[in-house]
Amino acid sequence: METKAKLVIKVDKDLEDIAPGYLENRGKDCVLLPQALEQNDFDSLKMMGHRMKGSGAGYGFQLISDLGTRIEQAAHVQDRQEIHDCIRQLVDYLGNIEIVYV
Amino acid sequence: MAASDHILVVDDDPEICKLVGDFFHKNGFQVTSAHNGKGLQDVLDRQKVDLVVLDLMLPDEDGLVLCRNLRSRSNIPVIILSSRGEEMDRIIGLEMGADDYIPKPFHPRELLARVKSVLRRSRALPDDVSEDDSGALYRFAGWTLDVPTRQLYTPAGDKIFLSGGEFALLRVFLNHPNKILTRDQLLTFSHGREIEPYDRTIDMQVSRLRRRLRDDPKSPELIKTVRSLGYVFSSRVERTESKK
Repeated sequence: METKAKLVIKVDKDLEDIAPGYLENRGKDCVLLPQALEQNDFDSLKMMGHRMKGSGAGYGFQLISDLGTRIEQAAHVQDRQEIHDCIRQLVDYLGNIEIVYV
Repeated sequence: MAASDHILVVDDDPEICKLVGDFFHKNGFQVTSAHNGKGLQDVLDRQKVDLVVLDLMLPDEDGLVLCRNLRSRSNIPVIILSSRGEEMDRIIGLEMGADDYIPKPFHPRELLARVKSVLRRSRALPDDVSEDDSGALYRFAGWTLDVPTRQLYTPAGDKIFLSGGEFALLRVFLNHPNKILTRDQLLTFSHGREIEPYDRTIDMQVSRLRRRLRDDPKSPELIKTVRSLGYVFSSRVERTESKK
């Protein structure tokens, strides 16, 4: 079976202590986001998207900010498909990144 | 930067507080977090804070209102850190008295650089005025600026709070009364940096300073605009030694 090449993300060395915990929490989001979507809880989706947007790039993960922006916007207009796509991309991203501290 | 500068981070997202707290702690700062307006006030009541990093979207109060209230009663520098990054939001934030505005997402290293810059600005006085007027008391048009205490008094004797930037700018004007100062000179003297293209920092600070001095922006008496050149502080300025 062909294995997918890891996506190498360079993260500031000063964030080495907290970046893993941040990603662990995004892993929890991968459970909470679908639950909120299932319950049509768009307020929670907006808030989670908003927070991902504000924090992701700061921790070194630009894609998390980008996905957060899209989730927040999609929650505003209740675009379930877009939110679903973002969650799938988040799961893929978290399962495929390798962090290098620089 | 002093060895133990104390930064207060006000943000309802604990992961932003953790990011800023951990990063700044590693870089020699003391950091306290608050998650709402009440928390901000509680910390300010109990501890000395050197700078506030303030989110705008808080659960209990609008950050802009908090910024304005903070500015009306203290000179603690404020940096707004917000997802509301549109140009108008930035302008309103600066008009409310913030010393800088950083849109989210942000890189903590950039925030660190901005914090250091704002602290430097609020403390380090420009070379051309810091040597000779640190103990001065200026009087102009009935107003008084006491440099050691950084207090501005109206002709009626009421205290007016100035931000670090406003204080530095007024001090430059009082040191160079009735002389045309370019925006570049004002920025260099008051902030220690050169002007950049489209930089409106000085224009916004002049506008705020005029309001503090109750100088009608449409027909200013004290800080006059000299078209395509800069500004001139148009008043007789008397300087004595402060008794403080």
